[in-house]
Amino acid sequence: MTYLDLPISEIHAALMAKKVTPLELVKEALARAKADKDNCFELILEESAIAKAESLGEPQDNPFWGIPYIAKDNFSTKDFETTGSSNILNGYVPLFNATVIEKLDNAGAILIAKSTLDELAMGGTGTTGHKGITYNPYDKEHNHLVGGSSCGSASATASGVVPFSLGSDTGDSVRKPASNVGLVGFKPSWGRISRYGLFPFAPSLDHVAYFTRNVEDAALALTLLSGHDDNDMTSSYKEVEDYSKYLSKDAKGFKVAIIKNVLDSISDKTIKEKFLETCNSLKERGICVDFVEIDEDLLKAIYPTYIVISCAEATSNNANLDGIKFGPRYEGDTYQEVMKKARTNGFSELIRRRFVIGSYALMRENQEELFLRAQKVRRVIVNKVNDILKEYDFIYLPASPTPAPLIKGSSDKLSNEYLIADNHLAIANFAGLPSITLPIGFENGLPFGGNITGRAFEEGNVLAVAKTLEDITGLKGLSVLNKEDR
Amino acid sequence: MKEVNKEVLKQAANNLLFDMSEEEYDTLLHEFDIILGQMSFIGSIKGVDEVEPMTFPFDVSISYLREDEAAKPLRQKDALKNAHDIVLGQIKLPKVVG
Repeated sequence: MTYLDLPISEIHAALMAKKVTPLELVKEALARAKADKDNCFELILEESAIAKAESLGEPQDNPFWGIPYIAKDNFSTKDFETTGSSNILNGYVPLFNATVIEKLDNAGAILIAKSTLDELAMGGTGTTGHKGITYNPYDKEHNHLVGGSSCGSASATASGVVPFSLGSDTGDSVRKPASNVGLVGFKPSWGRISRYGLFPFAPSLDHVAYFTRNVEDAALALTLLSGHDDNDMTSSYKEVEDYSKYLSKDAKGFKVAIIKNVLDSISDKTIKEKFLETCNSLKERGICVDFVEIDEDLLKAIYPTYIVISCAEATSNNANLDGIKFGPRYEGDTYQEVMKKARTNGFSELIRRRFVIGSYALMRENQEELFLRAQKVRRVIVNKVNDILKEYDFIYLPASPTPAPLIKGSSDKLSNEYLIADNHLAIANFAGLPSITLPIGFENGLPFGGNITGRAFEEGNVLAVAKTLEDITGLKGLSVLNKEDR
Repeated sequence: MKEVNKEVLKQAANNLLFDMSEEEYDTLLHEFDIILGQMSFIGSIKGVDEVEPMTFPFDVSISYLREDEAAKPLRQKDALKNAHDIVLGQIKLPKVVG
């Protein structure tokens, strides 16, 4: 155990007291990154990270000063190749930083690596990036998924490389992998954090999100990253709070809804039992916990609605990836041939299939029955969820129906299985609600998480109840480096 | 709604400017079976046709004009940095008009 394994506030205290230096932290993080056996990284930024650590000077009383971190490779980083784990962007070097990268840089945080993802963030397994499968660090045999799309950030943070990493979450791309690797994964409200410089996948659903090893660090990160940005017209003007102050808020009196038919659709006995145990503990702390139901048809509609909307938006958003302005260039007799070769060679099969689904949904003859209908179903689902949140402060559910699934047999092909329990996290993307996953238990050495979703822009309360849950389970600061302690 | 068959999917792929293998189209046809089955099912959800399509999670209305401040645009050299085959400060492509 080193300073790098502590909560950010404790690393910060050690930095302020000069018990450790940014350079020592960065060197430790880089050594751990270089020892990676799970295929977490697109790029390790050794030279620039050391230069930044050496340039920081006297300690500043800012919790992210001197803290090493990792960014998913769909955040634009000035002067560093950013590919979205897609061959179509090989060699692309952004001319600017994403706003979140800029904020972290200004705060004195040190970017040590860019992490792998499912290609262009359009997958949920961590197996589809152009560098191959990213593995779950809890399984050294490499049989289990880490999940995606923010697979590299999840895996590296769970391996103890850094205490904080950036991801993005369009359906559950941070909150699902967080469950698979025992981390806190937080997606705040839509508009809370600027998305400027994040490669768009489906902008009506895309969120900046992140991994930490405890709820306290998630609050610190939110305070730093939130706020309006003139470069992102969908970013909110709502006041940024000191979210850490909510961590001491008494959760007594909060009302929590469990969606019974989501829970009923889960067959994993350990997860159900542990989840219900935490519900009882919440009750003992004076929190009201009730079961509610949602029309099962609506729950079954989440997945197809997500697929149609996200694929349609993605088709349009990725039209600029043509192999002409950036990315590898292919020769051809016409400009269409140049583009066609670039897009055929640059996108994997999965991405091309998703684009065709999106294109089909947007065809004039199909728009009403597919795209517009999906957008209407989205509103019906959101209305129902917001109705629940009028009466209750939160919705609490297992984040996933199982611990990390096996790689063998998993697929990114569309399927009818696990329609409800594997996809309910997308509700928070449909409605733009703050939603946090945190570990609640282990099964056969693999962690699994619970998920709490609250009202829009009530991040503080979500963090308050998440802290209560974390106190109940005692599962914080997890990484594979300390798994023997459990 | 347009019937889904390989020809329609090939047309869509062509419009999107990429090729796919026959095997990939077979996988895609299977995926369409699933997605269209699920979509026809959600068509029967109560109240669906009584609501407006939802395009964003919240209504975002911004009604200001930014200040008319002069700013430096990207330099040409930078704007072309990621492109290949540059001629006279422009990206070179095959001839469009013969």
